[in-house]
Amino acid sequence: MDAITWGVAVVAVLLGVAWYLSYSAARLDRLHARVEGALSALDAQLVRRAEATLELANSGALDPASALILAGAASESLEAHNERSGEDLLEGQHFAGREVIESDLTAALQIALTPPVVEELRGDPGLAGEPALARVEAAAMRVQLARRFHNDAVKDVQRMRRKWVVRWFRLAGHAELPQTIEFDDEVPSAVRA
Amino acid sequence: MRIGIVCPYSFDVPGGVQFHVRDLAEHFLGQGHHASVLAPADNDTPLPGYVESVGRTIPVRYNGSVARLNFGPVTAARVGRWLERGEFDVVHIHEPVTPSISVLALWAADGPIVATFHTSNLRSRAMQAAYPLLRPSLEKIAGRIAVSEDARRTVTTHVGGDAVVIPNGVNVDRFASAAARPEWQGTEGAPTIAFLGRLDEPRKGLPVLAAAMPTVLAQYPGARLLVVGPGDAAAARERMAPEVAAASEFLGAVSDADKASLLASVDLYVAPHTGGESFGIVLVEAMSAGAPVVASDLPAFLRVLDGGRAGATFQNEDAEALAAQVVRLAGDPAARAELAARGRSRARVFDWSVVAEDVMAVYEMVTHGAGLVRTDATDTRWTRLLRRGRGGDD
Repeated sequence: MDAITWGVAVVAVLLGVAWYLSYSAARLDRLHARVEGALSALDAQLVRRAEATLELANSGALDPASALILAGAASESLEAHNERSGEDLLEGQHFAGREVIESDLTAALQIALTPPVVEELRGDPGLAGEPALARVEAAAMRVQLARRFHNDAVKDVQRMRRKWVVRWFRLAGHAELPQTIEFDDEVPSAVRA
Repeated sequence: MRIGIVCPYSFDVPGGVQFHVRDLAEHFLGQGHHASVLAPADNDTPLPGYVESVGRTIPVRYNGSVARLNFGPVTAARVGRWLERGEFDVVHIHEPVTPSISVLALWAADGPIVATFHTSNLRSRAMQAAYPLLRPSLEKIAGRIAVSEDARRTVTTHVGGDAVVIPNGVNVDRFASAAARPEWQGTEGAPTIAFLGRLDEPRKGLPVLAAAMPTVLAQYPGARLLVVGPGDAAAARERMAPEVAAASEFLGAVSDADKASLLASVDLYVAPHTGGESFGIVLVEAMSAGAPVVASDLPAFLRVLDGGRAGATFQNEDAEALAAQVVRLAGDPAARAELAARGRSRARVFDWSVVAEDVMAVYEMVTHGAGLVRTDATDTRWTRLLRRGRGGDD
């Protein structure tokens, strides 16, 4: 083989490698964007859930003790969100202990929204509690969806980032490895039924 | 919201996925959304205005049965044009791992993509072979839906990750408003019992019901068994005890309207299925029509029946247990009325209005802060390169 053939072969291989690198980088970028989108959707739904819970607590349709429990858990959730507003959600990958706070809100809803309470709220559509309960339910269901979609996306990113091409060529740059978010997001059983 | 739905199976023939897509699209259109369905169909098949055809299908053996699918570069180009023209906020792809326009759409699209997995019997061999090829496309799906727990298990084992379960919807009102017909209604002491399903498919459970009938007939000699479903009625009659065959009427395959009327007329609907059911849509139809349900205790049936509160259950394949339930309910109109009432309210959970709301929630989650669905930039750049390399004039 003469030098020209060699040269052509080397250029072809280099072009192939370059294409594969750019393709992999684009694929990884798309996956990171998916995680980011899912995380921001989850964040938005958590805020909605907390706000709807607060609304329900203040509607006067619940007994004062339940209302206090719900209001306390919901405002903790909103505070935790506001402390971090402005920060880049993906930066540092900290859901920053919000898992515990959100699990607490889930538990509070579970305790306060017993079957008789839900029945009473739904039985009187004229009451302010009924629309608030519907909003809590809608947001709680969307929290479940968003968290699952987020975790699916995270698993795809993690799988991609284990590939040699991503590790050797540092295609992920400085982006931290996203982690799944785990907390209790059950919709209260009485509400869902 | 502008919604694009991709259905891989031909609209020339009826089928579960096609009905699912049709009902979903019509529900969203009714709510004032824009919906466009891309599906294969013959040129002379009349299609609703919202369906766009990608042309006729080719029968292909895939996954153990013959599927009518279409693919190839011409089809791919049509899919691409539909995506570009549609300017969708979200694209919803059904059965994204069949070799069809679903895969092509997934390949070509970029942006908020939702996928629904219907099948619960994916052959792992086909999946594993095609895996490296499908992986990058599957990564684009932002929201995965499975129509049943079994379909979800297929996703977790073969595709990886998870899926949210949103069941098939039933048009509850169509069944609830069906009129009863006197010839199918029972009388005091002579109840009518309905069975629906293929006669020669043992898993639909007709043999179990036939084995239970002698005990029922001993108590209620006037009881009648109404058997609906395709299959060889003469052979099915042969397999029954003589007195059971005499008490049975074979109605063959009936229209949807007749099925609804039958379910609205009978005293009991029995679902003696022995397995292979992932959801049990016929139970929901029976409950919608107000038929008290007696069903085997398959996990899928227990889920539909709210753990047995919305219908009576018996141990799977136990004909005596089934007979005991039928005899008990045949003699207790109050208990039947109670079951029917609970069934009617349970059926509401599976109505399209509820199911489509859940699907809309999924759309909301994946479109949050995202732009429109575009054609995949990396893909088109690459295909353009390929075309140029081949000297194509496209």
